[in-house]
Amino acid sequence: MSKFTRRDMLKTTVGAAVAGPALLAAARSWAQEMKFTPEPGAKLRMLRWKRFVQSEEDAFLALIDAYTQATGVEIRIDSLGFEDLRPKAAVAASVGTGPDIIWNIHADAFLYPDALVDVSDVCNYLGEKYGGWYPIAEEYGIKDGKWIGVPFVMSGNFINYRVSWVQDAGYDGIPDNTTDFLDLMKKLKANGRPGGFALGNASGDGNAWAHWILWSHGGSVIDKDENVVINSPETIASLEYVRELADTFIEGAASWLDGNNNKAFLASDISVTNNGISIYAAALREGMTDISDDMDHAFYPVGPVGKPTEFHVAFPMLTYKHSDFPEAAKSLITWMMEADQYNQFLQGAVGYLTQPLRAFEDHPVWTEDPKRAVFQKASERSLSFAYPGKLGRAATEVFADFVVVNMVAEAATGRKTPQEAAEDAQRRAERYYVL
Amino acid sequence: MTDRPASTTKNADEGGTDYLETIPYRVVAVYLPLGVFLFVLLFPFYWMTIATFKSNTELLTTEGFAALWIVKFTFENVERLLFQTEYPRWLVNTLFVTFTATFLSLFCAVFAAYAIEKLRYSGARLVGLAIFLAYLVPPSILFIPLATIIFKFGLFDTPFALILTYPTFLIPFCTWLLMGYFRSIPYELEECALVDGATRFQILRKIILPLAVPGLISAGIFAFTLSWNEYLYALVFISSSEVKTAPVGVVTELIEGDVYRWGSLMAGALFGSIPVAFLYSFFVQHYVSSMTGAVKE
Repeated sequence: MSKFTRRDMLKTTVGAAVAGPALLAAARSWAQEMKFTPEPGAKLRMLRWKRFVQSEEDAFLALIDAYTQATGVEIRIDSLGFEDLRPKAAVAASVGTGPDIIWNIHADAFLYPDALVDVSDVCNYLGEKYGGWYPIAEEYGIKDGKWIGVPFVMSGNFINYRVSWVQDAGYDGIPDNTTDFLDLMKKLKANGRPGGFALGNASGDGNAWAHWILWSHGGSVIDKDENVVINSPETIASLEYVRELADTFIEGAASWLDGNNNKAFLASDISVTNNGISIYAAALREGMTDISDDMDHAFYPVGPVGKPTEFHVAFPMLTYKHSDFPEAAKSLITWMMEADQYNQFLQGAVGYLTQPLRAFEDHPVWTEDPKRAVFQKASERSLSFAYPGKLGRAATEVFADFVVVNMVAEAATGRKTPQEAAEDAQRRAERYYVL
Repeated sequence: MTDRPASTTKNADEGGTDYLETIPYRVVAVYLPLGVFLFVLLFPFYWMTIATFKSNTELLTTEGFAALWIVKFTFENVERLLFQTEYPRWLVNTLFVTFTATFLSLFCAVFAAYAIEKLRYSGARLVGLAIFLAYLVPPSILFIPLATIIFKFGLFDTPFALILTYPTFLIPFCTWLLMGYFRSIPYELEECALVDGATRFQILRKIILPLAVPGLISAGIFAFTLSWNEYLYALVFISSSEVKTAPVGVVTELIEGDVYRWGSLMAGALFGSIPVAFLYSFFVQHYVSSMTGAVKE
């Protein structure tokens, strides 16, 4: 259920009966000297994206409940799919009402920074205490020198592949360069085991692989000075690569959204795709050991630019100015990100979510199952979608309009030549930067 | 002018639908197109039904299973939908919002359509056109200003946020539909009533509305369906799970990140389509009669 009640809490903590009292004791102890003191009678309402995995939500709600019991701050949690969350968050910002905290996706905070509480004090405190933020976290969180959101987690999006099928094609694993990767994909296709990457408006998977392929060849939407430069020889080179790569895809990938590659991979229809750890987790959950035993994850191959160019998904916590209880919101977020709590949360997330603070990179969740290992590096390796420029309103709007994804899809499907697709993307992107 | 052979003209005139009496003709001209049409219309329902009762493994992989029928029948998806989400409550919410918004819209649309069509004041056509244009403004543009109004009225996250916003697209639609229907009712009937001393309201209540029942049903069914399926306003104006409508509740609860609970999603879609199908089956004759010409002079 979306609505979190005390009754739900009792249900979720049944499996963690031993941890319950310990967590509560820790919360009470923490509340004695908490850095941010909630307003008297504070009540909070949080809207979050729908969980990827039940154990993550259980851990999250257990921490929330402990906080409520220790501080007396009532908290209500509602959840929505992350695509549906974005219009809600935008309306809350425009209208000035709605949840106090929205656990949002990407850099939507840059669309309405004035509606958000300055959380620099929270982020500076956490950064100093926990080894500092990864650069990507700072990029997503800071605007004009102040933090407009707390980078709570990143979600890694890497290559998912069938180990034995890749070996049959003559490779030990996913090659570390794009040339060999194309060769592998061709061989897999020839063996009747094609790959598939989402070419529809897939917010996570589509953006992740489209940006990787663009950047890997030296292309980008904007340069360091925020000039729109997507129509470049480098972009066209990347789209020519895409044309060849797309020939190795399974039929139907042109219309894929975020969920389609999961289904195709689990149906053994494809050998390689890009995704979070959700395919692996679903295979484990459904007892599909033929898949879970035979799959693994890998970094994206490096392109002609000679360095990793990956895009992973950010999930920041945004506190809205319309909230009557901003200090309570800060207090709650701080509680969640203190080491004892955040470690429990990461454990529950089983690799879906990656820490934005360096102190958590040695968490056991990354070593207890080797197939999770690459996800540990999501924050470290991710670039923002504005790379190499700065995040801002225009960059976020271009991203929200799927300009890069559509350009790649048009080239991949042959609807436009690489040159035409790049020109069209340039026109679309310029609209936002001119305005 | 070319003279046509008399025999040919006679055959064509007398032929009518006689050619359907032979079985091959009937198969080609009636049953085959009808079969194709039925297949296209009903296949999505068939797909929803089998997906509802397939196991997760069967939904995820075709190896050892068949795509078009069920190998391992299970109620797991239905159970998850009905007992692990608040689906029954969302259905009740949807029914409440839909019936109320439809009734409210029809009530307003009857007066609007009658005034535009029958009172014959100057500018009535322009008013009719303006109402139609209002229908053409997409909800994706309207939802932010509407959100401001809803907030100012303190209706955010209540069913009344939907009950009062759905008429923004239902009233123009119903008015336009009823205008066409009212136009087909002879004015002489009203004139007779006026001569007999009836008031405008009496004419509307005792003459126009009884004659316009098929039109009202048709507009009602359309309004009901539009409200039942509405997504954007229900998503934006409602946050609490207990107030959600079925279309929003199903999607928000059963899509977990990029993991789609296909079986339960299909069960939600299947059960959600039952009330609409039920409604159509009861009123289909009125619905067809309103579409095919209403009252003849």
